[in-house]
Amino acid sequence: MGHRAILQFVITLAVAAQLPAVDATYFASTVYPVLQKAGCQGCHNPDGVAAGTRMHFPDPGASAATLENFGLSLKMLTDPADPGKSLLLNKPTRRIAHAGGKRIAPDSPEEGILRNWVDYLATTKAVAKKEVEVSVAPIGPVLRRLTHLQYNNTVRDLLGDEGNLAEQFPPEDFVNGFKNQYQSQSISPLLAEAYGVAAEKLAQNAFRGGDSRGLIPCKQADPGCAEKFVQSFGQKAFRRPLLKEETDRYVRLLHTQKQFLAGAQVVLEAMLQSPAFLLRTDTAQSKAYERASRLSYFLWNTMPDAALFRSASAGELDTPQGVEAAAKRMLKDPKAHATVDDFVAQWLRFDRLLNTIKDRATFPQYGPELALAMTEEARRLVGDLVWNNGNFMKIYSADYAFLNSGLAEMYKVKAPADDFGKVTLPPDSERSGILGQGLFLGLTSKPTETSPTARGLFVREQFLCQDVPQPPPGVSTNLPVLSKEKPQTNRERLATHLSNESCASCHTLIDPIGFGFEKFDAIGQRREKQKLTFRPARGEDKDKSKKTETVMLALDTSGYVAGIRGSEFSAPSALGKVLASSEQCQECVVKQLFRYESGRKETPADRPIIKESFEEFKRSGFRFQDLMVSVIKLSIFTPVRMESHGLSDN
Amino acid sequence: MASVITKNRALSRRLFLRGVTALTQAPVWIGLPPLAAMFNSAGTAYAAGKAGPNQIPNRFVLWFNGNGITERYWIPEETGANYTMTPCLSPLARFRDDIHIVTGLDNPAARLPGPGNDHHRSMSALMTGTQFTGRGAGGPSIDHVIAARTNADTRFRSLQIGVSQESFGESIQRNMSWAGLDRALPPEMIPAKLFDRLFGARDASWIDRKKSVLDAVQQDAGVLRKELGREDQTRLDEHLSSIRDVERAIASLPPQYHKVEAPDFDGDMKDWPRIARLQSELLVHALASGQTRVASYMLTKCQGLTRFPWLGYTAARHHDYTHRDGKAPGADGPDGQRIMRDICRWHVEEFAWLLGRMKGTPEGEGNLLDHTSLVFVHEHAEANDHKNNGLSLIVAGHAGGLQTGLHTRTTGTTADLYLSVANHAMDAKLTSFPSASKEISGLFRT
Repeated sequence: MGHRAILQFVITLAVAAQLPAVDATYFASTVYPVLQKAGCQGCHNPDGVAAGTRMHFPDPGASAATLENFGLSLKMLTDPADPGKSLLLNKPTRRIAHAGGKRIAPDSPEEGILRNWVDYLATTKAVAKKEVEVSVAPIGPVLRRLTHLQYNNTVRDLLGDEGNLAEQFPPEDFVNGFKNQYQSQSISPLLAEAYGVAAEKLAQNAFRGGDSRGLIPCKQADPGCAEKFVQSFGQKAFRRPLLKEETDRYVRLLHTQKQFLAGAQVVLEAMLQSPAFLLRTDTAQSKAYERASRLSYFLWNTMPDAALFRSASAGELDTPQGVEAAAKRMLKDPKAHATVDDFVAQWLRFDRLLNTIKDRATFPQYGPELALAMTEEARRLVGDLVWNNGNFMKIYSADYAFLNSGLAEMYKVKAPADDFGKVTLPPDSERSGILGQGLFLGLTSKPTETSPTARGLFVREQFLCQDVPQPPPGVSTNLPVLSKEKPQTNRERLATHLSNESCASCHTLIDPIGFGFEKFDAIGQRREKQKLTFRPARGEDKDKSKKTETVMLALDTSGYVAGIRGSEFSAPSALGKVLASSEQCQECVVKQLFRYESGRKETPADRPIIKESFEEFKRSGFRFQDLMVSVIKLSIFTPVRMESHGLSDN
Repeated sequence: MASVITKNRALSRRLFLRGVTALTQAPVWIGLPPLAAMFNSAGTAYAAGKAGPNQIPNRFVLWFNGNGITERYWIPEETGANYTMTPCLSPLARFRDDIHIVTGLDNPAARLPGPGNDHHRSMSALMTGTQFTGRGAGGPSIDHVIAARTNADTRFRSLQIGVSQESFGESIQRNMSWAGLDRALPPEMIPAKLFDRLFGARDASWIDRKKSVLDAVQQDAGVLRKELGREDQTRLDEHLSSIRDVERAIASLPPQYHKVEAPDFDGDMKDWPRIARLQSELLVHALASGQTRVASYMLTKCQGLTRFPWLGYTAARHHDYTHRDGKAPGADGPDGQRIMRDICRWHVEEFAWLLGRMKGTPEGEGNLLDHTSLVFVHEHAEANDHKNNGLSLIVAGHAGGLQTGLHTRTTGTTADLYLSVANHAMDAKLTSFPSASKEISGLFRT
């Protein structure tokens, strides 16, 4: 909302206070801005924390007609007989329990506006339409750049070059939780230069010592060999047959050099920085070769192999069955394993753990080696479930782990015979899948202490795919300073959040999740009490009267996930069962994979794909390989259609 | 410019480094080429821009450090000419007459309701005056706008330079320069690579080959373009524009570039003070030799996680130290404030080092700093509170006739300040910039 919009809002408010002329347009013009300012849509949206309630806001940018319809649909939250008792009034003012807290001050002009609308709804005969147009246009074909990983793999498969030159490119940034999102893939001059440098090197290497890699399919002296070379290499590099004009152009380029190999080298150098090589388009109506690429860059993170090119040219990728068969074949290739590893490393934010820092005095055993072992443990668990066709939801509830000796020592279990062998966890460990792993517990913690808030947020955002509203700008996020005189547990310190109205509305959704993990410290070791250490301040450490003191505090580790019924838990193992059987959590796996595959966050227009993939995932007994097949197949073949939103049916 | 830096009095490497030695106790020895190598035999500068051979063009540097400051150790109490240097600003004492401290600025777009945490929101608003999109900045950053407006025919439209790489990894946290909505211009953070960009040229046949290669690439784009929808065409055009930038960088290479000796960059790649000085040195060369007129310099990242072993703070990271909630053990209360003071002072120290290098680089009748305007911004005012009003900026260099030696407490926005600098120092003729409504008065003479 720009200044103008704010101003508009203020004016609207002022006018409304004087002239409550309520008609059908009143909602969009006057009530909606009030609700927007109150931040209702932050939770009440299909991906929000309040997704399970009856109120779903339309998408941002919805048309006036959609808003009008949404306004009418709120009738369900009013009491026509006694408008004063309407949920629509009493929830946001928190006269009755509202997990989102007090968003609108009772008896304020804003409530007056809401009340005008409630009164209007009590008398109007207008009814909300059930089916409304999806207000966000579907995302069309999207131009995607090869990720750095895909670049390295592609030149490996194309030229046999394993130099991993993309490691020299400007690093990729996270957007929507992944590093392959198209909105972060613009090609800056810096990156274009890096592509140029890499292409030059690759082309040089390719013809070092003649055509040592057999890229030239004919005798160089033969007439037409230039054309044959351009076509055969070009088809692989551009992942489709070359157009005639392209072939002609590259043949001319080859002939600008006196020697054939020098010419071939220039052709390579150009093709390897061509948009046709670096970019690809994904489209639901994509042509066969684009489909082959889409399959290949999703399942393998590299270019199609010869068999896939053959399938494309034979028309085998024109049907869902054909795509499914191709995908199933591809999943048998080890290249698919590397892709699952890449997905998991980003989804579970390995980078955060590898970047973290832990207090050396508190955690002398923690270092890069242990951090790496923690990421490996997570990778092994996921790999075990994916490739042995287990129920993928067990990533939250598995009662076993893959440990090396360092981790086994930390978890206080007997080390397996082989590094990262399977170990069954004793029930009293209360660890459970990734929720009990050093990775999750460590990456969400501070250098010395845990952060129930960070743990709660990670569960909401990564495991439930829910956006939690950020603290309002300018709110102090300070917690009370700990002192020897008044030692507090994390739960006690965080009570500030929950007793302060403006913090509580969101923190009740976050912190109580984290409280249930408090039996595990900042690197994921089991603890029965919280240990507070008070060291002398800098400069005071030579004063002998000042000593390091420790205080042990008893822990209350009861927690819950607001919005999921029966989710009370006091250790990861109990939450693991809740999450594994929660539809929101199951669907979130689908959404995360969708984001990784499509290179963008899902929009309302993608709901049919998400829904159908989720149904297939469920029917398969939550087998991840099946999900990979569903997501790619449905993404390619699902036409965009209308759907209903506004109020949900239940 | 050229008339002073002549063939007779070529700037030697030693002369550069003498400036370095005067500034710091531990000079950084890097084998950079003498400046003379960047001038052609006629003694005129390459790609000096549209200003003509006799007029020295002005330059602009936007300098950023992540997280906020600790105001009590940073903001001078007195305003006007007789302000006392604060602990954080003390490295700038020698440059009092080259700088203007401007405090009290607001960054209003950071408060607009929308996606992202306080850091994301501040960063987008601070650089571009626009709201964070949930992915990146909402529009072009001021350095990019100035580069586009001045449109000098330099080798590089602008340079983005970075130092510390430690961050949470989001796009908005890692980039300060933006070409437009969601389009980051990433900084080059590796000195050897930056050197290679600036000086790693080859011979004439290499240049010819590069040109024909890029020509072919551009024609490929033409074929692809026909198949795309409008949004994708725009994105392809961005790619094309980057390719043209590469072409321009190649085409405007002075022939003597291949004579430049490669410096030795070996050493600890996480020793940020060392990297900072290498990068600053290269920036000075890039500006002095007319390779670009606009640059951004990202010392630490937005919500940065830099570690500070050289300051003796190893228990936590930059962002951890900014908060009093116990992320950094022992950083609650006064101790934490002192740690923040030292961290802030280090940022200013590196800025001062760059100023010293510019001042020690003769140009025309004066030096490089006379023809440059630098703006030092940090992510927040008081770091702990993520405060977005009352920001304190440093404007340095004499381009455009900066009033120096002053501390001004003012109202207005960071974008208002950009507008003033863009128009006075860079003659950008900007009539507007998001979040800006007027120029800050009293900043420039005239």
